[in-house]
Amino acid sequence: MRLTVFNGSPRGKSSSTEILLEHFISGFMTTEGNTYELAYLNRVKDRENFIKLFQEAEQVLLAFPLYTDTMPAMVKTFIESLEPLCGRQGNPSIGFIVQSGFPEAIHSRYVERYLEKLALRLGCRYIGTIIKGGCEGVWRRPAKKTKKLFGAFYQLGQIYGETGRFDERLIHKLAQPESFPKLIVPLLKLLLTKIGLANSYWNPMLKKNNAFEKRFAKPYAE
Amino acid sequence: MKITILNGNPDAGNVQFDSYLKELSDLLESSKHTVTILQLRDIDVRYCIGCFGCWIKTPGECFVADGSRDICREYINSDLVLFASPVIMGFTSALLKKAHEKLLPLIHPYLEFVQGEVHHIARYDKYPLMGLLLEKGKDTDEEDIEIISDIYRRDAINLKTSFSFTKLTDNPAEEVANEINRI
Repeated sequence: MRLTVFNGSPRGKSSSTEILLEHFISGFMTTEGNTYELAYLNRVKDRENFIKLFQEAEQVLLAFPLYTDTMPAMVKTFIESLEPLCGRQGNPSIGFIVQSGFPEAIHSRYVERYLEKLALRLGCRYIGTIIKGGCEGVWRRPAKKTKKLFGAFYQLGQIYGETGRFDERLIHKLAQPESFPKLIVPLLKLLLTKIGLANSYWNPMLKKNNAFEKRFAKPYAE
Repeated sequence: MKITILNGNPDAGNVQFDSYLKELSDLLESSKHTVTILQLRDIDVRYCIGCFGCWIKTPGECFVADGSRDICREYINSDLVLFASPVIMGFTSALLKKAHEKLLPLIHPYLEFVQGEVHHIARYDKYPLMGLLLEKGKDTDEEDIEIISDIYRRDAINLKTSFSFTKLTDNPAEEVANEINRI
């Protein structure tokens, strides 16, 4: 199998998307004879080449982080450049990875609908969409905390490399929690708001930049 | 009301779309609204690269000095913002999306629960209502309009506001103006 991967993260090589892709691709490459090519949509100067890559691809994987509940503008620019290829004979099959910082999958479900429709619009066979939340800062987590996550992406890649399909069971597992059960929300609220669990991610960075005191600035208030 | 229209029409040749917005703007001004049209294709806005500089380096302001700073200022001081765009490949234009995601400085990195979901907290006391104005493309169908509207409705939660309406340029501009006058 020949796979063409588009990393649609505006952070390019130093992105959470890249890390997830690395593991997926390692799994994919365990099948003998499989090959892949990886293109970065943030490399503006390569832009003309992207269409050519897509045109010549057998199988495409487009991966990106969730921006304002949908694809980053950079990815939309790429999608717009594919317009002339809509309905063309011999378009590749296409699968997607959407990762986000929000812990729940529900945030990414709306763009998933868009992506399924996009495959139809292009005339590409739709492989599916892998959704994974809670990925912000995944690169700085200790190995024991990412073992399961990376293992799942490896396995997804492996199965895809063998069968050309995304494993439904693994996709379902990765998407957990879809949203938080109503019953535990009050407890989570307490952790988040009162103890400031999530703020502890941002505060050291704010302090390092001497910006902590200004963190609530409203520069545009009139 | 103070109304800002983000014109996401990337194609200067699509005169029809810009004329529609001009007509709408005139109608709204005759109803005593103040209207600003931001012609996005003439504003230099860089892609958001997710550096979080607007949260952790220069809180509230994009770290990159581009046209998005003026857009943010207009946006947050409006009562209603109309996201206007032709539908291209089933979604609003990349041009509009580029400006849209550079609104990130207007919210805060800290998190809270909203309707049982994790979202970022507000930076400002008040946020404008969101409306959506779309021009159908040749291949646009009802499902596309629904998908786009649902995504914007979701994003209204992120932008600490509510989503008012989706209108199509198939409708006369009077209809859109009336919808806005009812708010």
